[in-house]
Amino acid sequence: MRRLLRPLRRTLGLACLAALTAAFVDFRGLVPAQLSHWLAAIQFAPALRSAGAGLAAATVLLLIVGATLAFGRVYCSTLCPLGLLQDVMARLAAWVRPRPRPLRFVPGNRWVRYGVLAAVVVGIAGGAGAVVFTWTDPYSHFGRIATGLFRPLLVAANNGLVPASQHFDASWLYRVPFRWPAPAVALPALTLLVLLAVLVAWRERIFCNTLCPVGTMLGLFARHAAFQITLAPEACTKCAACLKACKAQCIDLRRGRVDASRCVGCFNCIAACPEQGLAYACVWTLPAVAPDPDTCPSAPVADPTRRALLAGLAAMAVTPVLAAGEPRRRRGNPAPDESPRGPAVPPGAGSTRHFLSRCTACQLCVSACPTQVLQPAGLEHGFAALAKPLLDFEHAFCNYDCHRCGEVCPTGAIAPLSTAEKRLTSVGVARFEPSRCVVETNGTDCAACSEHCPTKAVFTEPHRNNLRLPRVDEELCIGCGACEYACPVRPVRAITVSPRAVHTRAKPPTDAVPATPPVKGDFPF
Amino acid sequence: MNSSRRDFLKAGLVIASGLTGGLGRALAADSTPKPPRPVLVAVREGSRSAMLDRALAELGGIGAFVRPGQTVVIKPNIGWDVPPERGANTHPELVARLAILCREAGAKSVSIFDHTCDQWQRCYATSGMEQAAKDSGATLVTGDDEDMYREVAIPRGVSLRSAKVHRLVLDSDVYLNVPVLKHHSGSLMTGAMKNLMGVVWDRRIYHSTDLHQCIADFCTVRPPTLNIMDAFHPMVRNGPRGRAEADVVELRSLLASTDIVAIDAAASRMLGHDPGAIRHIPLAAALGVGVMDLEAVDIRRHKLT
Repeated sequence: MRRLLRPLRRTLGLACLAALTAAFVDFRGLVPAQLSHWLAAIQFAPALRSAGAGLAAATVLLLIVGATLAFGRVYCSTLCPLGLLQDVMARLAAWVRPRPRPLRFVPGNRWVRYGVLAAVVVGIAGGAGAVVFTWTDPYSHFGRIATGLFRPLLVAANNGLVPASQHFDASWLYRVPFRWPAPAVALPALTLLVLLAVLVAWRERIFCNTLCPVGTMLGLFARHAAFQITLAPEACTKCAACLKACKAQCIDLRRGRVDASRCVGCFNCIAACPEQGLAYACVWTLPAVAPDPDTCPSAPVADPTRRALLAGLAAMAVTPVLAAGEPRRRRGNPAPDESPRGPAVPPGAGSTRHFLSRCTACQLCVSACPTQVLQPAGLEHGFAALAKPLLDFEHAFCNYDCHRCGEVCPTGAIAPLSTAEKRLTSVGVARFEPSRCVVETNGTDCAACSEHCPTKAVFTEPHRNNLRLPRVDEELCIGCGACEYACPVRPVRAITVSPRAVHTRAKPPTDAVPATPPVKGDFPF
Repeated sequence: MNSSRRDFLKAGLVIASGLTGGLGRALAADSTPKPPRPVLVAVREGSRSAMLDRALAELGGIGAFVRPGQTVVIKPNIGWDVPPERGANTHPELVARLAILCREAGAKSVSIFDHTCDQWQRCYATSGMEQAAKDSGATLVTGDDEDMYREVAIPRGVSLRSAKVHRLVLDSDVYLNVPVLKHHSGSLMTGAMKNLMGVVWDRRIYHSTDLHQCIADFCTVRPPTLNIMDAFHPMVRNGPRGRAEADVVELRSLLASTDIVAIDAAASRMLGHDPGAIRHIPLAAALGVGVMDLEAVDIRRHKLT
């Protein structure tokens, strides 16, 4: 069994990292939306973000906490993509410049660890959850690194291969429009990646077991885990082979203990010990610590470690409640439907307010969007909502029958809609300005807008000189942006989508009456 | 260098003067210019494949257009992310049948592409074209890669003086235009000529300049080897994308002609228009692209039973 632990961790971790990376860099739509969704939805922070609103997320959260209580912080070494990315970076570093690991046991820095966690909890409680989640969640960090840095590199590599592939008649390889990553995503991602590289080179997983609030929170449970790594004092020769293998610097050889709150469950030490003096064994001796605090018999003496566990549970329990309630409306705030107009947000978001409060800017929807109409915002949503997506009709429009963004979103910021619902969800309304239209200015036919309109909210009517001028039926318009995208007028287009702060239901197009043949007879010529 | 060029020119002049005598006489003999009557085949009441087979038989068989070893490009309308029954795209059955015939005629390669309006992978999949290509052994090529387009001058163009054209259209030996007949909110009708907007990179220039004139101008670049129009169930309203299956009427028809103007003129009649009302038809006729007057067309009507 002990031999299997590390291969098992590696297999799971590699599979998870590979699949999540694929979901984020997938520029051909090959990864099924449901797979992308679940890879993201089993992550701690997205589950915590939406636990108040969905049974699935609450279940995921309970499973992660349960698994941590049972096995320690295995989440950090099997599911967390940012942790796994650091493992890969450490591997690469060792490959480039092999050197001995620090041998030192370093005691955990309680002030930093719990300070960060407390700041996060206070931030969320104070109504800044939308910002705090976005910039502290390791999964969302990874999403921005993969989308902002890895994906453009892969697209560029693909496009570089296309000319060569044409000598082999390989039509399965095709060029994909290259877009420079948005600075709001790429710059923070690059900064974090450099920071991680430095930290990994210095003390490997120090980010995870000191700075990451998810790691610290899971550590509160892990220190009480049933299965922990134990040292057998009679077998130990103090050779320090385990210390060399440890990425968390959490093995205290002198006291013969492993700090389970910082151990990321990589099991390298077990594999490294020549004396087989390390074991992964159940340390629970009932009823000293019970797995479920509800059924736990009240301890006669206050136990500081148990207090930490309860604090962790409490903090976690209130977070979704707070998250669900925010952003709290301050006095004098306008009613939701009158809130100031920002850019359009994807169908399924319900309202800009809901969307921005739930979204953690992980970029999964941006990666999944087949038309790339979803783009990370710069300052369009405001500074607090940096990198959260918007519908950019400049270069693309929202496909009528597609709702991949809602299918993949792990936080419920974009609810999944059926195709029928999606087709009627209005995220904005087209406004037509005849004085800019080429039909008026040039006196020639155009109708590019109406041509692209999937609901015929934009239609044409006979106009002077046998021309046809567009018109908008606002009740039918879903704000997909096809008209704005197609309009050839520059610099300001003749038809533009005015976003709705609160999405509405469009009138269903009625086509009950079948069309009739325009002419009789077999051959009207 | 100079002297040799002069010699060359002199020799050329001598040859030319010798030739013009003969040529002049030949032209004079034919001086009452009877424009060749273009052939238009109109077939009704069959399956798409059966009507295609009948039309091709009337035009001398696929072998009259595709010779062994030639490269073929088929340009259907695959503009929209909608299923075949909506009539917004050329039906995949027709394209698959045509591709198989081309391969049977010995074509070296058969490529299919369109520069779509909706997202191209979704269009290729939903339209059934991906499956059609797979079934017929044709190659489906992207139209969404600007690097595949080359700038071409259009000296006879009135409004459109140059365009970036997909290299498959420029380089293939055989160029088959396979449009679907539809209503269009801007140009009233989309047929064979309008379908060629899907082989150029920048369509916005058409819309912002003069849509009909640009459509007509582009037909002077490279007229398709053959035009085959899918009019099985034309969309008669809410075009060109359509909204529902109720937008199509079943006419069970197919048109084929080497004359792109004649085929659009006939098609406009099927939608209840006078050919002259679809402005790009008279404009193309005026540019000498083809014959608009259906009286001057050799129309062969077939009703399959």
